[in-house]
Amino acid sequence: MSYSALVERHFLTPRNVGALAAASDVIAARRGAPAQGIEIELSGGIADGRLIDLKQRVYGCPHAIAAASWLTERLAGASLADLDAWSWREAADALEVPPEKWGRLLVLEDAVRALAREWRGRL
Amino acid sequence: MTSKLPIYLDYAATTPLDPRVAEAMAECLREPSLQGNPSSVGHEYGRRARARIEQARAQVAAAIGARPECIVWTSGATESNNLALFGVARFHADRGRHIVSSRTEHKAVLDALKQLEAEGFQVTYLKPGRDGIVRPEQVAEALRPDTQLVSLMHVNNELGVIQDIAAVGRLCREKGIAFHVDAAQSVGKLPIDVQAMNVDLMSLTAHKVYGPKGIGALYVRRRPPLGLRPIIFGGGQELGLRSGTLATHQIVGMGVAFELAERERAEDVARIGALRERLWRGLAQLPDVELNGHPDERVCNVLNVSFHGVEGESLQFALRDIAVSTGSACASASDEPSYVLRALGRSDHLAQSSLRFSLGRFTTEQEIDAAIAAVTREVTRLRELAPRSSG
Repeated sequence: MSYSALVERHFLTPRNVGALAAASDVIAARRGAPAQGIEIELSGGIADGRLIDLKQRVYGCPHAIAAASWLTERLAGASLADLDAWSWREAADALEVPPEKWGRLLVLEDAVRALAREWRGRL
Repeated sequence: MTSKLPIYLDYAATTPLDPRVAEAMAECLREPSLQGNPSSVGHEYGRRARARIEQARAQVAAAIGARPECIVWTSGATESNNLALFGVARFHADRGRHIVSSRTEHKAVLDALKQLEAEGFQVTYLKPGRDGIVRPEQVAEALRPDTQLVSLMHVNNELGVIQDIAAVGRLCREKGIAFHVDAAQSVGKLPIDVQAMNVDLMSLTAHKVYGPKGIGALYVRRRPPLGLRPIIFGGGQELGLRSGTLATHQIVGMGVAFELAERERAEDVARIGALRERLWRGLAQLPDVELNGHPDERVCNVLNVSFHGVEGESLQFALRDIAVSTGSACASASDEPSYVLRALGRSDHLAQSSLRFSLGRFTTEQEIDAAIAAVTREVTRLRELAPRSSG
């Protein structure tokens, strides 16, 4: 398996690793399972209608680790509408993820959708 | 990628050529007098090449306690396994169409058996215990009146566990059933005596014992004759069992490699075994690691370890400075989990989080220490990335 330079960079130095403690202005979502090849946990704060300090923890292949890391930068400062609009294809294109791994990115998208639902529930 | 070559710990996949083997091969390639066709014994070129072939045949035979005339040259263990299985099964089809083997054989055996099933043979695939061992009693229980062949590997390529070949050989000989052993992984690591072990057919290859790729041999019992139908037809070389011009330099390389493997076996086993123990002691310092296969009934050089809570592909990529095999990569680059580890009861998930380290003649203590440090660092790092209850 070969990896794009961007995957390699994020895999070697993943960004924003961690999880925020539960709070009234913190939303979190967890999707997937080790048996599915990917498990992802996202958490972030909401301030002024924007997602701030998005954190991730991920179990998975290098593409999954890189995608989770990349996502935290991509969605920094995102609005709820941005989360609703986000598609796994963006990660597939940016990171050059091969088709056999697209299923794992769908789990990532599920986590983003779940995060948006939780946000909506706080409105 | 780093410019420096990774630490090579994949000797069970293939070994580098021993310089002494390379020198013997190079002589065959350089010397015009050795470049005749070994079958053209009507002239000096052919006779000189033939003499080298027969010397190599004696070297290979001596390493397994066989007579030289029992050695048939092939292109490697895959062809040897195919010749043994198809050769005997088809020749003796009127005697019975049942074969006994195990689930953890190499693909070169399993896929040949699948083809025989398509031809109307029935195969019983024994399930090893959680330690990877197929007990001789399991073989005894599986035998039927129409069983004509038993095929078991001596040492499993993924786990390094040793099967009790002598006990199964005794059993087969008593019942008059042909016994084939894939010994690709055991030469140079274990003593082999085909006569004492009652083995009728043994698959051998050069490239696991510091010889060249592309050459192997099949030991075939000659007294009493076993009965074997060839799978390659042509010039009738190797007493009609394997047609094709003999590759003098390859065969000479295999002969020297086998002679060295046997001569230096005790020394190699002691040194490599100590390094393997050092590696295991180092890796076992990590929490949640598990040794796959029997802890004692194993060859000196293989260590198969599962790392809980770490995804296999990430582990392999993180450890790209160490050349090892993963629990998913034996057959291909696919992420299908290892069928061997699954046969031992490991989950797909855990099978994929396993690494096979295999050491060899040129492995150093510094390399082992560097491998321990890298694995410890990367397993810890990847576990820290994961959601807390994963794995």
